[in-house]
Amino acid sequence: MSAYRGLVQLGLGLWTTLRQIGRGASTVSYPEEALKLPPRWRGRPVLTRDPDGDERCVACQLCSAVCPTRCIELQAGEREDERRYPVSFRINFSRCIYCGFCEEACPTLAIQLLDAFAFSTEHHRDLIYEKEALLIDGTGKHPHYNFYRHAGVALHGKDKGQGSNESPPVNGRSNLP
Amino acid sequence: MKRIFYLDGQPVPFTSGQNVLEAAIAAGMARQIPYFCYHPALGSLGACRQCAVKIYPHDDKHPPRVTMACLLPASDHLQLATVDQEVHTEHRKIIELLMLNHPLDCPVCDEGGQCHLQDMTVQTGHAVRRYSGPKRTYRDQDLGPLVHQEMNRCITCYRCVRFYQDTAQGDDFGVFGSRDRVYFGRLEDGPLESPFSGNLVEVCPTGVFTDKVFRHDYARVWDLQQGPSVCPHCAVGCNTLPGARLGTLRRVRARHHPEINPHFLCDRGRYGFRYVTAAERPVRARLHGVHSRQDAVLRQVATRLQEGRSGFLGSPREDVQSNLALFALADCLHAPFAALSSPWMEALAQQCMALPQAPTLNDVEMADHLIVLGDLGGVAPMAELAARQALRHGARLTVLASRPTALAEAGDYRPTRPSALPDLVTGLAEDACLQGSRRPVILAAAETLGPAGVHALRKTLARLPANARAGVFQNSPNLFGAAYFAADGHTVRLQHALRQREIDHLLCLAADPLGSDWGAGIWRSLAPGLQGVTVLDMVDTDTVRAAETVLPMAAFPERDGLFINYEGRIQAFAPVYRREAQVPSWQENTRGFPAAAGGQMHPLGPPTPQYWLGRLAELLDIVKPWQERLTFYQRFLCPIAPRPDHPGILLDDALRARFEIAAAPAAAPVGTEDWELDLFRWHGGEALADAAAELQSLAPSRGLRLNADVDASFATLSGPCGRLRLPVLPIVGMVAGVAALDQEGFAQLGLHPGEAVQIQWETVS
Ligand code: SF4
Ligand code: SF4
Ligand code: SF4
Ligand code: SF4
Ligand code: FES
Repeated sequence: MSAYRGLVQLGLGLWTTLRQIGRGASTVSYPEEALKLPPRWRGRPVLTRDPDGDERCVACQLCSAVCPTRCIELQAGEREDERRYPVSFRINFSRCIYCGFCEEACPTLAIQLLDAFAFSTEHHRDLIYEKEALLIDGTGKHPHYNFYRHAGVALHGKDKGQGSNESPPVNGRSNLP
Repeated sequence: MKRIFYLDGQPVPFTSGQNVLEAAIAAGMARQIPYFCYHPALGSLGACRQCAVKIYPHDDKHPPRVTMACLLPASDHLQLATVDQEVHTEHRKIIELLMLNHPLDCPVCDEGGQCHLQDMTVQTGHAVRRYSGPKRTYRDQDLGPLVHQEMNRCITCYRCVRFYQDTAQGDDFGVFGSRDRVYFGRLEDGPLESPFSGNLVEVCPTGVFTDKVFRHDYARVWDLQQGPSVCPHCAVGCNTLPGARLGTLRRVRARHHPEINPHFLCDRGRYGFRYVTAAERPVRARLHGVHSRQDAVLRQVATRLQEGRSGFLGSPREDVQSNLALFALADCLHAPFAALSSPWMEALAQQCMALPQAPTLNDVEMADHLIVLGDLGGVAPMAELAARQALRHGARLTVLASRPTALAEAGDYRPTRPSALPDLVTGLAEDACLQGSRRPVILAAAETLGPAGVHALRKTLARLPANARAGVFQNSPNLFGAAYFAADGHTVRLQHALRQREIDHLLCLAADPLGSDWGAGIWRSLAPGLQGVTVLDMVDTDTVRAAETVLPMAAFPERDGLFINYEGRIQAFAPVYRREAQVPSWQENTRGFPAAAGGQMHPLGPPTPQYWLGRLAELLDIVKPWQERLTFYQRFLCPIAPRPDHPGILLDDALRARFEIAAAPAAAPVGTEDWELDLFRWHGGEALADAAAELQSLAPSRGLRLNADVDASFATLSGPCGRLRLPVLPIVGMVAGVAALDQEGFAQLGLHPGEAVQIQWETVS
């Protein structure tokens, strides 16, 4: 009885193998051949820009706080138009584990894990990326979001009450009912 | 018997007079009751309606009801619940209402990470905004260089006005408007006038008021290195919590000390720290005014010391250990040493040291009668804040001063010439105003009172009831520490040696004898006899600029040490951070990545004074005797040094009693016709804080303050050491015949408060 079962199992296994014969190779000869990445692939984090072309990051330091390997380091500053921005922004890619936590934490959709992944080098120091190397020229996966349109703070060129869903400033001196 | 009530079935201990919320917070059960408007220093108001609990009456007649924990006095065996559907709904709905108009600001809000509103919102589980209508907005005001306003974030808890108007008794900030347009600010844009305005940042539970100085060099609170420190800007010795990141100091907050400053700090203490980051701060060793290698500078100093013609000058601005190290070095070299730059200051320090029974600021708050001598707020602002709390509790206040100070306006102002203070102080014991008071407290500005006045105060205190207390304040952090090393005539001897050409080199530790220290006039007249001056300092002073050799020192948050405050309380501070700098550009950053992210920083910090003096001892081959002396004196002076987070150890009374000098120090007589000088200080002024740019942008203009009746626009003062021409600033209500001058002016003239001065008037129309 058990010998019969064994033979059937053997036959099934052989059949599985034989089935593949006509299907061609599924191995990709990377790097000669390009990889097809799934849309939610988590590659190297980059800093994106908002639809108006300004950098999105407001240096809130949430990504650096949530990063489990503590590989993000930045310093906040204030631009002349009173916009917060990162004066410096560094990621140490010898430590990054591509978990995507930073992207999840980022309230402005600035930091995104896009598709770059092959960037090995010989020295650790070449894996420390500064803001110049992180900031890209596009909006990444989110073409429309601009944090400052929704925030309540005023900037040069955007007064109080001009954010989305805001009414004009009230008169805080009025005693009328 | 321990008194308890029950919250969700758990026993909560309380003391009588506490409310339920207060007791729950003290018992570490704050997570059960969210709250906003209650604050331990401001009390309960019942404005926010957030702190709901359900109360179960003992009888069966009344149904259980929801009430506010902050307004419910704790009583025995009260049964309360928060795990209850009704309470939970109340918590959720109230926070939803408070958040209705709240802007989407957290990423750019400086309160984020230390925001009470964030914490409470997360705690109550309000995660999704249901209201989708337009949000109310406000325009903000410019409140000056210290506090930033962002009114959209307000939840109308009224903590700010309660602090500003009730606690600090300021009158230029308040609440305006009605219904849902209530506005917290000033009538018009402009800097906040209260010396305690920075506390708005700490009491406001949201990001409406944030620290404007911190804002320009911001870091999230979770990234800050913090450690226990002590404020170096006056004799009160408030406890502080400096925060640093990437090797630079970013902010200073109050650290709880039960008897000195449980919650607050003055603006000098909060914003004065910017001396640490001032561009002019000496951070590299200098030889003849040029940056040089440490070794070269040290060798030059050692050569000077080897000649055996050096004098040593310590400072009440420096901590105990450094003064001690300097004293030990002078001792090894048999060189003259003085801890204070003027004989007058030396006498004052000794008199202060001998004065017993200083009140803690807590005692001041509990006083039922206060007598204030001089401008307390200009010297030690937190002492003034404590006095104001006593006033709120109904204490009577008598102010003896030459001008109507802010505090004088709140009490009984007795216009007084400074030279008359010693006699008036002697008469205080018999004064009718003290009759019937059970806890009288006398607070004085040390320099206005002078050595003779402090002496008189000690004699008077002996005749007052046993629970009378007297505290004398000065604006350097360690006058008592310097007084340790000040024996009678030290300074005179040092100046004499210089005059006699026995010495031609002066080693100064954080002293500014050629600039604005007391007695600087004399030092400047002796300066031609000096071949070289060596300064160890952390701020740029006249002496630093004139010195042959400059050895830069670590600032206080960068090292450890001991200060002795006005009570004789020895308090320790700990190093909070190391001054470091990052390599800025990414091409060079082989070592430029911060340690947390796997890199290294360049240590750039100037070393401690002990390090410099130790290196000098090495070069002079006297390390062993120097260390032996250091250990010996240390054991003698403070056998047990407190730890940095310890509330401090009071100086031994026996040790203080040794400074008692029976004879009253002589004060120069002043005729009633003479003009005499009083000291003018403002709440942000002090040797270190003077280098803090943001704070100093509020400094009052320089000039000679005198009675508005005088018809002149300029005055030229002449003193024994020089002349000084200043614009006249009229003050209404100032005593006739008294002119108030800043310390720099006194230093230039070579005079002291309460001394006569010659004035020539000029009228420019
Ligand atoms: S979380 Fe986003 S906005 Fe915040 S610092 Fe990181 S990248 Fe910038
Ligand atoms: S006040 Fe608090 S909740 Fe409001 S934006 Fe600022 S951090 Fe966020
Ligand atoms: S400004 Fe701040 S402290 Fe004042 S009422 Fe609003 S939230 Fe409260
Ligand atoms: S009162 Fe004095 S010790 Fe206290 S914070 Fe102000 S300056 Fe510092
Ligand atoms: S804390 Fe009780 S009502 Fe605000």
